[in-house]
Amino acid sequence: MANALFYLMAVAAVAAALGVVLAKNPIQCVLSLLASFFCLATIYLLSGFQFLAAIQILVYGGAIMVLFLFVIMLLNLGDPGTADKTDARMFSRPNAFLVVIVAAALMAVGALAVRDSGTVAAANEMPENGIDTLHGLAGEMFGRYLLPFEAISMLLLATAVAVVVLAKRGKRGTTSISQGDVS
Amino acid sequence: MTVPSEHLLVLAAILFAVGAAGFFLRRNVIVVLMCVELMLNAANLSFLAGSRMHTLKAGATGTSLEGPLFAIFVIVVAAVEAAVGLALVIALYRNRQTVNLEDVAELKD
Repeated sequence: MANALFYLMAVAAVAAALGVVLAKNPIQCVLSLLASFFCLATIYLLSGFQFLAAIQILVYGGAIMVLFLFVIMLLNLGDPGTADKTDARMFSRPNAFLVVIVAAALMAVGALAVRDSGTVAAANEMPENGIDTLHGLAGEMFGRYLLPFEAISMLLLATAVAVVVLAKRGKRGTTSISQGDVS
Repeated sequence: MTVPSEHLLVLAAILFAVGAAGFFLRRNVIVVLMCVELMLNAANLSFLAGSRMHTLKAGATGTSLEGPLFAIFVIVVAAVEAAVGLALVIALYRNRQTVNLEDVAELKD
């Protein structure tokens, strides 16, 4: 039962990912990406990562996707009239064939590497509470990985400042990066 | 679930390849950013597959927590990337009224 659900979710995740690449309307891309994230959250849950599944839905589904939707709505890109036409002929560009070949090669290398690695014998049962218990994660994060944790907090602060600087309007109604700097 | 962890790795490879193809094929900046998110998710999935593999090998006493931890760090970096990328998109749209990458190829020529 759980195995069948895994394969169902895996197929759905790949289909939704293809939807992100192929959909013409950016809104459809966002919704496909959201579907893909939910499928992945289910897979995390089935694999014994309860906390990561919750984080996946909260942070990706809740925060990042809303950010994308917000920007698309703000710039009025969901309107089919303003949707750019160049993506419609993305497969007729000269190097599109090359890109598809490289992507297929990436998949093939992944599958071959896995096949040659030999299946690791699953000697044990999955722990009852899943792998990423909050107790264990907190112990590691505030113990051995305290320095990366602090570095991440600095990264978030720097991001907050950077986003304000980038998106702020200057005095002349332009962004703080003026027209002359960009063009 | 008794699916071998290798199948999780294959799924991660497929998702990464789809994301990479979208990254190179699409010209809408926002969709390109979404494809980057897709690739980061595939990386997360392979972290978790490795952790699951080690846990199933070592048993409940040796749960491998590095996978989920680094997946959390990747999620934070993905959020940061989305925030900065979308701020850049907004600045670009204000100056150029476009989100098409073919219209902003000055550095390429």
